[in-house]
Amino acid sequence: MVATQTPILEMRGAKKAFGGVQALTGADLTLYPGEIHALLGENGAGKSTLLKALAGVHKIDAGSITLNGKTFEQGSTRRAGEQGIAVIYQEPSLFPDLTLAENVFVGRQLRSGFTVNWKAMEEETNKLFQQLGVKLDGTRTARGLSIADQQIVEIAKALSTKATVIVMDEPTAALSSKEVDRLFQVARNLEAQNCAVVFVSHRLDEVFALCSRITVMRDGATVGTAPTKEMTEQSVIKLMVGREVSELYPKLEAKIGDVVLKVEGLGLAGQFEDISFEVRAGEIVGLAGLVGSGRSEIVRAVFGVDKFDKGTVTLNGKKLKPGNPSAQMVSGVALVPEDRRQQGLFMSSSIDKNSAVTMLKKLSKFFIIRQKNESKLATEWGQKLSLKYATGHDPVDRLSGGNQQKVVIAKWLATNPKLLIVDEPTRGIDVGTKAEVHRLLSTKAQDGVAILIVSSELPEVMGMADRILVMREGRMVGQFDRHAATPEKIISVATGAAPV
Amino acid sequence: MKSLVTRFFRVRELPVFIALVIVVFITGSANPQFFTLSGFQDVTLGVAVVAVLAVAQTLVIVMKHIDLSVGSTIGFSAYLIGDASSKGHGFWYCMGLALALGLAVGAANGFMVAYLKLPSLVVTLGTLYIVRGVFNEVAGGNTITEDMVPGPINFMGLNTFFGIPYLFLVAFVLMLVVGFVMKRIRSARDLYAIGSNLLAAELGGIPVARRVFLAFLATGAVSGLAGAVLLARFNTAAANSGNGLELSVVAACVVGGVAIAGGIGTVYGAVIGAILLQAITMALGALGIPQFWQLAVNGTLLIAAISLDRYLSTRVKPTSIMGAK
Repeated sequence: MVATQTPILEMRGAKKAFGGVQALTGADLTLYPGEIHALLGENGAGKSTLLKALAGVHKIDAGSITLNGKTFEQGSTRRAGEQGIAVIYQEPSLFPDLTLAENVFVGRQLRSGFTVNWKAMEEETNKLFQQLGVKLDGTRTARGLSIADQQIVEIAKALSTKATVIVMDEPTAALSSKEVDRLFQVARNLEAQNCAVVFVSHRLDEVFALCSRITVMRDGATVGTAPTKEMTEQSVIKLMVGREVSELYPKLEAKIGDVVLKVEGLGLAGQFEDISFEVRAGEIVGLAGLVGSGRSEIVRAVFGVDKFDKGTVTLNGKKLKPGNPSAQMVSGVALVPEDRRQQGLFMSSSIDKNSAVTMLKKLSKFFIIRQKNESKLATEWGQKLSLKYATGHDPVDRLSGGNQQKVVIAKWLATNPKLLIVDEPTRGIDVGTKAEVHRLLSTKAQDGVAILIVSSELPEVMGMADRILVMREGRMVGQFDRHAATPEKIISVATGAAPV
Repeated sequence: MKSLVTRFFRVRELPVFIALVIVVFITGSANPQFFTLSGFQDVTLGVAVVAVLAVAQTLVIVMKHIDLSVGSTIGFSAYLIGDASSKGHGFWYCMGLALALGLAVGAANGFMVAYLKLPSLVVTLGTLYIVRGVFNEVAGGNTITEDMVPGPINFMGLNTFFGIPYLFLVAFVLMLVVGFVMKRIRSARDLYAIGSNLLAAELGGIPVARRVFLAFLATGAVSGLAGAVLLARFNTAAANSGNGLELSVVAACVVGGVAIAGGIGTVYGAVIGAILLQAITMALGALGIPQFWQLAVNGTLLIAAISLDRYLSTRVKPTSIMGAK
């Protein structure tokens, strides 16, 4: 079968560093025409960097990429497309006000003579949609399209450029199961048309259902490639994890006290259901699961940003009302949100103001905010967190990602919470700062704060948490004690693979 | 395939057009004067200046930018035309001067917005004041009088072509040309892409800075040339000519469905919007309603237009072709 054919794309020994961080340390990838190829790896394994090299966003420092027998011209998204590589990101970026036809052909609208030929463009687009087996109308605008449909438009765009390599980065993460089925159908269509499809997913059941070959990456390098039928879910997980994780996250022993947070039978239609758990004083509980499994939704509901339909949330024996974050703050709950730029910070305000915003009442006198108090508070926390900044008046968006995260944490720790919820506390920050954030959380637990931590990074959850709760598709599907948890067990439960 | 009827009802300019028809009929039945040829000529002549500027403004607003300097530019240009003509220069020389002024202001705006990445609201507010300031210095207390206006401009201001004022024809032809370009020329389609999703436009390889610069340049050029229309309309110009016009222009665009949030709208809508605002002003005048109420009605209409927009955009149903969540 495939092994006898000539490959469409060959990447050999690709290396790429960003500053001091080595993102790719020797990645290989070979794609044949007419295959769906899974690219697997934990977060931070280098998949995104590899995809971006193919998309023309990054240039690799060393190694080679050959496409259709020729050297691939790197470093331009436009050139990458012209050479036949199309990348479909998890969140497609269409033009909401333009028609689907124009979205497919944007920047290279079909013309007759000098003028745009709308009719030809619409017909061509509808033909592509038909070819993909979907019912979409090229004359409607992209506004309001579901993510699944937006992906289809991106795929149609890829086909219209005659792409031979189509990369899909976690395309199923935000799709319902019916939409996933349709996407699979489309992917198989592309396979039948002799395209090479790269499929990045964390859901192993999908990978095994769809893909003909699998490449696994770890720490920036390719650690294995094989036809799917020669692999099992267990062997893939072993390849993905492949390292001891516990030493990285020093955990301080803390005295476990009374129950601080008690969640019973919590449910929100279409998001999650029947969620029950407890967090005690001094305890760190990890909430693990894939992106989209409902983790963030649960903590948002507990904090009161979102409502819930069923169940109760009790804090120190007092029931909390749903949908009222300021009441939750008063009762001693703090949430460090997932997306710090969007939800956690006022990006153009100063560091002082950001640190103090949760504390304005205490810092004010007769409703007037005392700036001096603001600065004092910020300086105090800045020192505790070894924040690197010039002056407290600098806007937050001048800080590095890691330091921004510290400001968000400072802002919430300043409220002296009894329950601290952190959602993806170390996403996109460097190893050094990561360790500082972890140390900080551990110390807080020692002080008797109950901590609920949501993270996609398994080593982080396993290193930090006393107990790990695992979510899948809005349900709690597993619970492990610190000592009983292994990465293999957690991934199996989270992906719905057979139990180890 | 959608039927012609559905397509017709999806036309964005429809509500404002219907509003225009209603206004015309109500006023016409209350005051038959409104339905006469002279009533028609009053409205079309009155709207010409704002319509020309609204067509140019559309180029900028669809990119999610704004150009507030057009009122100063058109006024200064009108003055320069009259001034040059009174010194014995010919018609084409005067128009060249007007174009040069417009290009200069447009290039300055475009450079600062496209390449220095400064916000267009602030940049063009700045050039509004700068141009007006220079204008005041140059004009002093002088006034351009009818005898100083170049012949062809004077002629166009006073005459009609089969009953249609020449000035309105200028606006109408400009609308048709720009309307065609914005629908059918690739580089002009980029303006919509930029206004709709700037990030995606950049990722998609659209030369964003160049397009933004050229759009501001074109808007400036039209505003400069439109000085002739302003001069023809009033046969006079002084240091306060064109003052505040920019706001009428933006209002006309928004009422006509050119979304201030970018990405949507046509020059046809902008012109219909201008006509509607003009017709209402005239109608209220014809019905003997005081000036204060005319402005208040225009303001209400503006807010109504943007509310309708908001309502329509939230009403778009998410697709669920395959039973999405």
